[in-house]
Amino acid sequence: MKRLYVIKEKCNGCMSCVVACQKAHAHSELYAPIRESEPARIYIQTVLNAPIPLACHHCEEPACVRACMSGAMQKDEVTGIVSNEGNAQQCVGCWMCVMVCPYGVISAKKDGDKKVAVKCDLCRHLGAPACVDACPSGAVVWMDETEAKPHRKGGIYI
Amino acid sequence: MRKKTGDLRTCTSSRASIQEMHLRAKELGIRTTFDRYQDQLPQCGFGMEGVCCQLCSHGPCRITAKAPRAICGATADTIAARNMLRLACHGLSAYCHQLEEAINTLKATAQGKTPYSIRAVDKLKDMAALLGLDTNKELNALAVELADAVTYELRKGTNEPLKLVEKLAPPARLEKWKALGIIPGGPLSELRDAMTMSMSNINTDYVSLLLTTMKLSIATGYMGLMATTNIQDIILGNPSIGVTEADLGVIDTETVNIVAHGHVPYVGAAVLNEIANNAELQAEARAAGAKGIKLYGSMDTGQELLQRLNDAGQGYAGQLGNWLTQELMVTTGAIDLVMMDLNCSIPGLKLAADKFHTKVVSVSHVLRMEGVDTIIDYEPEKVKEQAVELIRMAIAAYKNRGTVNAVHIPKNKSTVVAGVGIESLLSVLGGSLTPLLDVIKSGAIKGIATVVGCTNNRNGHDSASLRLIRELLKKDILVITSGCVSSGAQIEGLQRPEAAEMVGDNLKGICKALGIPPVLNFGSCVDIGRICLAVTAIANALGVDTSDLPVAASAPEYLEQKAVADGFFAVTFGLFTHLGPVPPVGGAPNVVKILTQDVEQLTGGKVCVEQDMAKAANLIEEHIVRKRKALGI
Repeated sequence: MKRLYVIKEKCNGCMSCVVACQKAHAHSELYAPIRESEPARIYIQTVLNAPIPLACHHCEEPACVRACMSGAMQKDEVTGIVSNEGNAQQCVGCWMCVMVCPYGVISAKKDGDKKVAVKCDLCRHLGAPACVDACPSGAVVWMDETEAKPHRKGGIYI
Repeated sequence: MRKKTGDLRTCTSSRASIQEMHLRAKELGIRTTFDRYQDQLPQCGFGMEGVCCQLCSHGPCRITAKAPRAICGATADTIAARNMLRLACHGLSAYCHQLEEAINTLKATAQGKTPYSIRAVDKLKDMAALLGLDTNKELNALAVELADAVTYELRKGTNEPLKLVEKLAPPARLEKWKALGIIPGGPLSELRDAMTMSMSNINTDYVSLLLTTMKLSIATGYMGLMATTNIQDIILGNPSIGVTEADLGVIDTETVNIVAHGHVPYVGAAVLNEIANNAELQAEARAAGAKGIKLYGSMDTGQELLQRLNDAGQGYAGQLGNWLTQELMVTTGAIDLVMMDLNCSIPGLKLAADKFHTKVVSVSHVLRMEGVDTIIDYEPEKVKEQAVELIRMAIAAYKNRGTVNAVHIPKNKSTVVAGVGIESLLSVLGGSLTPLLDVIKSGAIKGIATVVGCTNNRNGHDSASLRLIRELLKKDILVITSGCVSSGAQIEGLQRPEAAEMVGDNLKGICKALGIPPVLNFGSCVDIGRICLAVTAIANALGVDTSDLPVAASAPEYLEQKAVADGFFAVTFGLFTHLGPVPPVGGAPNVVKILTQDVEQLTGGKVCVEQDMAKAANLIEEHIVRKRKALGI
């Protein structure tokens, strides 16, 4: 099964993935996602002066799913995607998932009166993650677990 | 930057006063350059490496392993070299602006329309002679002719070589430049051609682009730097040794406080003149409850004034800091008015001023800032009235001091010996360079390093420059500073004769014998011209080329485009040139190779980008020792 991987040595911090993620989830057609309130679902953190892309790992046993009080956050049994969108229950914005996420990759979005947690959904509406397409340096990659194996010794971590 | 346990620093500055003020800014909700730098991390690697091109609307293009060429076919080398040329163009044009202001001021002064006077008569005659004028004329008439002659030089075509280059460059250097075809004509014409070349699809050959950048840098050196410095000396006085103080602790809570911030000293000098001579304004200040009026300096405008404490800088109240500290000087709450001129006034300065009563005014027609609606653009003929108006504004603002946020001034301050230039150095040395050359020849001073330029968060505010200076001093290398780096050295107390105690044994002895501090202040960033003239004088005295001297240059915290033009000039001038942070060419392998290796065969200079300042000092020492060996000393 294909998963999102990050080869951290290849990242140079250009934030193309962040912009692409915002654009993929924004409501506007225009290319102005940075000005919109849609938070990105992939982050670049600076760690010891080096940029590190961070996104949801879609954990086997997701803490966010266990913590979700409304039942909106679910792990899809077939695709493995963890998301609080498009499920039977609605997200109520209690931020429990934000607090329990061990990777710190869920953000809080306030859309008028509506509060909703926002996280990576692997762009299932597009078929493949937009960040991967946008990455010019091959740091954010979409590949099969078997393909990822040879990289294990390097900096690959998702 | 990782913090050590017990480290209370909240920003990258090496200065205690700035750490204290940064905490204060945090309390008041003022965000500064230090904070916005953290917000910007990570910074895009393509921009850092200089392989991003945004010139045409097919782009932006960036060079990666899968896309080794831009849409037009340009390589990383073309993109990086072309962008360097564009940066140098910006630098040279700002210098040309400053030169033109100097020329206008000289002319108006000669016509008796300004509060300034012709102070450096020898320099006026020397410069007039260089440009082929009859120096027997009456002084004011000669000054007008000189102004016209320099204007002609500034504007003439690219086909007429610059006279100052031909007259001032050491003969051996001139030969090298002629062979490379990089002797510039009129700077404004050179700028026109360089901007044309660097448009999309005109000049895409990185070698030619780099040579053009070198050509522009020579125009920068001889017109932007040396001509500007000389004319400013003529009007405001040659540097002469004087003592003042630096750091935020110099701010007086009981006076009306004005800060001259930027690069151009005319308005500041006119304000000092009014403070000294206008009893009416003094009475108005006292009526407002203040003891008096003081003018402080920030950045290079301050350095220009403190170089001339016995002339146009008389009454100068002290140097507050450099580029990275402008918001924090306002955060003291004790600054009533900031006069901004030419470059380096940041939008954040106004944001900080808005948290206080502080009035921010533009005194240069090129400077505008969102929210700044008080504009008194410098005009030489009106500057006396403009100075009075500015002081009155400051007095009015003073009455509101403390009404928005309270005054908080750090205690830190240090003594500064300033005013070094060729003239004052010669008078300290007893009229000739021989004593200095003798101690260099004997090895008591191994060599000279000019540590110049800006200040920058990426290497830590005043951290890289001070580390480098201290390492060089330990190695018995005399350090000359100018620009924002000077402020760091001043505040650190390195520009006092007592600082000799901190340095290598040999250098300590020399400093004590000659009565000089181990770090000599040559002034503002324009005064790099002064340093080049001094280096030329040493080369001529020894009968060698500048590249043969045990001299190196460093800009350890360079920031803006003028510094790019200066850096290229140092390389073209034949100096080992250390730069930090790494300029945006890292992703262009051939450009890197030329600048760090091949150019040495052509000019004798080259770029070094070692970012560990202790290692950089070692490399500078190695270079100096190599040059000493070659000279047989």
